[in-house]
Amino acid sequence: MKVATVLEKRRHQWAELETFCDALEKRGKVAASASGTYQGSQGIARFATLYRSACADLALADAYQLPPSTVTYLHRLIARSHNQLYRANRFEPSRWADMMFYDAPQQIFADPCVKIASIVFFGLFALAMYMGRNDVLFPGFVEAIIGSAGIEQMEESFEQPLNGSLDHYVPMAGFYIMHNTGIGLRCFVFGLLILPCLYVLSFNAIHLGASFGYMARPDAIGGDNFFHFVTAHGPFELTAIALAGGAGLRLGVGFFHTCGLMRMESLRESAIRAVPIMAASAALFCLAAFTEGFLSPSPAPYIVKAAWAVLSSGLISFYFVVLGFPRDAFAASPPANDGQPSPFGFDDPPESVESQIDVPRSKMITSGSGGPSDAT
Amino acid sequence: MAAGQQSRYCCLFGFVVSQHNLLANTVRFHRLKRMQSHSPLDTTIAVVTPENIAFDYQVAGPFRRMPAYLIDLLVRWGAIVILVVSALFIGLLIDIQTLGPFVLAGMFLTYFLISWFYGTMMETFFNGRTIGKWACGIRVIDVDGRPINGRRAFVRNLLRIVDLFPMAAPGVFFDSDIPPIYIIPTGLVGLIAMMSTKRLQRLGDLAAGTMVIIDEKSWRLPVAKVDDARVPALASFIPADYRISRSMARTLAVYAERRHYLTPARRREVARHLAIPLIDRFEFRSDIDPDLLMYSLYYKAFLAESSGELADLGPLAGYSPLRSSVAETAVVETDDSDIPIAGIVQ
Repeated sequence: MKVATVLEKRRHQWAELETFCDALEKRGKVAASASGTYQGSQGIARFATLYRSACADLALADAYQLPPSTVTYLHRLIARSHNQLYRANRFEPSRWADMMFYDAPQQIFADPCVKIASIVFFGLFALAMYMGRNDVLFPGFVEAIIGSAGIEQMEESFEQPLNGSLDHYVPMAGFYIMHNTGIGLRCFVFGLLILPCLYVLSFNAIHLGASFGYMARPDAIGGDNFFHFVTAHGPFELTAIALAGGAGLRLGVGFFHTCGLMRMESLRESAIRAVPIMAASAALFCLAAFTEGFLSPSPAPYIVKAAWAVLSSGLISFYFVVLGFPRDAFAASPPANDGQPSPFGFDDPPESVESQIDVPRSKMITSGSGGPSDAT
Repeated sequence: MAAGQQSRYCCLFGFVVSQHNLLANTVRFHRLKRMQSHSPLDTTIAVVTPENIAFDYQVAGPFRRMPAYLIDLLVRWGAIVILVVSALFIGLLIDIQTLGPFVLAGMFLTYFLISWFYGTMMETFFNGRTIGKWACGIRVIDVDGRPINGRRAFVRNLLRIVDLFPMAAPGVFFDSDIPPIYIIPTGLVGLIAMMSTKRLQRLGDLAAGTMVIIDEKSWRLPVAKVDDARVPALASFIPADYRISRSMARTLAVYAERRHYLTPARRREVARHLAIPLIDRFEFRSDIDPDLLMYSLYYKAFLAESSGELADLGPLAGYSPLRSSVAETAVVETDDSDIPIAGIVQ
């Protein structure tokens, strides 16, 4: 068959597919005035049929000896239809809930990067706090870190007891969400280059630690008001910073510690794994911002704020430890072949957890060799 | 030879590699080399669809993506300004005393959401495109050709900050006394990453496993029509036992597409390289236009029906391009079977 004949036969379907693509690209659906075969499920079926036959034409292009320009045309037509047929997924709330309450805690619990980031952050924080508190051993430490202007400003802002109003709370909550979550996201992003992430993490830890230490001195002006302010949102916010740093480190470490994957593959893998951690961190930042906006500046008694801090710490621990504990540890290994012994399987069936724990000594001796408990 | 070199190379590093391994490596190496030499030096990336068809995408480079980014920047700031102004306006209209704090909080939130998640949202909802990308005709897809999902869009849009590194201070460009504030992104990290990857990916693309492709608008189906009456006539003189090979057909198609852009003299010059050996082989007269011969071969390969009937020559009947035809016309109707279409020559 000559090319001209082939082209003549196929051209109508290609043109049909093209008008289909035009309509889908412009409006996302076919116009209501189009005939019934292009509407609804029939239309989808028709589109898929046209797409498949265009694919088949491209596959046979060499056999048909189609001219290169026609092949280029087919490539572009198929690329267009491919983009319309396989569309991006919408956000699914269930999947996001799954990510927040299943993926994220599991990942946080298992990820060594989060542990490293937490140790770096909280370690430096505690160290700086100690050094800032102890003016005898480390004179001038706080001045070197925060600067005397910074100290004055801090003292000034906490000189008066806290009394906020609604006019003050709402904008501040919004501001904290914007500002602090922004810092967290930036920390995550810099994790790709590792060193900037560690820098942001250590800088925040030392800066915060030095302020806390200075305010904890008995002679500090406004020290009581300061702790009145920071107690309530402290657990959420500090954890969120550490998590953001951990997610960032996961991103950067994936580039160096490849676990046998190709470098780019490993980077991709670790980026996808870091996203739930970052999402959890952003959620914590938002919770912290609401606390910081509404509860922290309020004149509520200290006991309320302390109770909130304890409650939030408890929630975070529940999230990390209970939701994050590896599920495989609880799940019994599924029996092969629905419990039926396989003729090709092992002779001794896997023992259950209970039988491993309290096997009587006498039974162990009499059972002879072969039991897994013999190895101990 | 290659295996020997390689084994010497291996001994140098103290490896013990079995002969079989070496051979496999050599074969793989050569196959790789051949693959590389066959893939065009171009910005096209082949994608295999679920239908098991490989088709080409053209990857977008920095010169297409930069304007898209600038448009997005404008749109982002425009959206923020419009939202903030309209919120203020509504607040003023109703009651600024009670609504004021909420308007302020709303402004902070709007700024935060739009400046951080504009790209993520847009790319997820509009099938891999933002407004800037739509205007510049580009689209983000997975490296496997699948559409982008929310998680990937999130990663690649956040990591843009790193790609825009390092920041330059305005003081670099204008000699001023203000302390250096590093606010102008230079984008060197992203540019270097794009230069060194095959799919022109920046770091965010590498981490998310995405690439930016040129989203083709409609493309006219080119059909070469033969309107020169001499072409079918000359094609009928091409010996029937001459089979046009596949590579020859491809060459002819490219030639027929491109010849419209060339002047007649240039056409002849280009066509001569292939036409002169063919003129010899077909025993045509040497004053035949090489361009016309190439075009008739194209006609024979792609357009003419393969049935044995002869083309209607019209006023051209009686002319023959054959070298011996001068002698033939004198000796009318000689039995000359090795010239296949001698019968036409009256």
